Amino acid sequence: MNFKKQFEEGLLTKNPVTVQLLGMCSVLAITTSLFNGLGMGLSVTIILICSNVLISALRKVIPSQIRIAAYIVIIAGFVTIVDLLLKAYLPDLSESLGVFIPLIVVNCIILGRAEGFASKNGVLASAVDGLCQGIGYTVALVIMCVIRELLGSGTFGGGLLNGGEGIRLLPAQFPAMMMVMPVGGFLTLGFVIAGSQWLMARLDRKNRKNRKGGR
Amino acid sequence: MSQKNSALYILRLALTLLAITAAVAAALAGVNAITAPRIAQANALKTQQAIEAVLPGGGEPLDVFPDETGLVSRVYASDTGYAVEVTPTGFDNTITMMVGVDKSGQVLGIDIISHTETAGLGAVSAAKTTAGEVFRGQFAGCSGEVSVAKDGGSIDAITGATITSRAICSGVNAALACVAGLN
Repeated sequence: MNFKKQFEEGLLTKNPVTVQLLGMCSVLAITTSLFNGLGMGLSVTIILICSNVLISALRKVIPSQIRIAAYIVIIAGFVTIVDLLLKAYLPDLSESLGVFIPLIVVNCIILGRAEGFASKNGVLASAVDGLCQGIGYTVALVIMCVIRELLGSGTFGGGLLNGGEGIRLLPAQFPAMMMVMPVGGFLTLGFVIAGSQWLMARLDRKNRKNRKGGR
Repeated sequence: MSQKNSALYILRLALTLLAITAAVAAALAGVNAITAPRIAQANALKTQQAIEAVLPGGGEPLDVFPDETGLVSRVYASDTGYAVEVTPTGFDNTITMMVGVDKSGQVLGIDIISHTETAGLGAVSAAKTTAGEVFRGQFAGCSGEVSVAKDGGSIDAITGATITSRAICSGVNAALACVAGLN
């Protein structure tokens, strides 16, 4: 197990959003204000850690022919339990996250990590993987939220700061509504992926240079 | 391996999946049994708060009420007016909302109890922000029939959420029609 490598992979080199392109529906749909990004990111991270741990613990019990069906049942059951518990004990939080929780069941990051990592690795490594991938997902969402909210609504921190209004950075007549509509989601996603590719290429070049210099 | 194709092996697969499904179902049933009363309580509280938000002083539920639109689910009456719970269909699913109407058929106010509209667009209608309050405030004082400006009415729709705005108008209209039938 290598925590630093897993963290790097989750954040950049194998980022679930910009590299693995998983969970696109939620990424495009909800990244319109900062609160949405943080809320969805946090919910996914928690569920991802839990489902990774459970699936990793059961990896030797589940026969490979029926593994996908078994994972789906476990994940869906898990999400429903969290949903019910939130509704019963934290109704306020449930109300603000209400729209995201059912979306998590169909979020392919959870199934993707179950299949790609948890089913082949130990419990602890899977928990760390869930955490790192969750952080990578959250960071990607937050970046998209900040861009789309600024260009689309002209604010920062919507749903969270300034009593839910967000802090106004652009006068109300400038922002383009298009940016909070689906088309803005696709555009922003493209630029964010390009940006992460540029960053990776740059780091790669730097690493190679360093290695050469060392010799 | 010939064993992989044997009937016994297939049976084992089916039984394993059955066991996993049964375990998850049992866990869900257990959690549901514990949480169901609390969720019902929380929902009842929310409905109560919505009634008081649109009809000062609250009201008592009516057993019989006219409902030609099929959207009215409950009506609460007081000396001054009615709180009508309506469930129009929004962009995604039903919107549950409370409409307060006074005896003369004027809207006192509206409150959205639950919805699954798109975050940042249709969800603005229910948000506790200035934009949400401005949108909901437009309905106060309306009577007869309301519609969004695009359809020739007086309600400014939420930008990018005309369908949600229309749905809320249809809910208000159903409540107004229901109260007209009661008077």
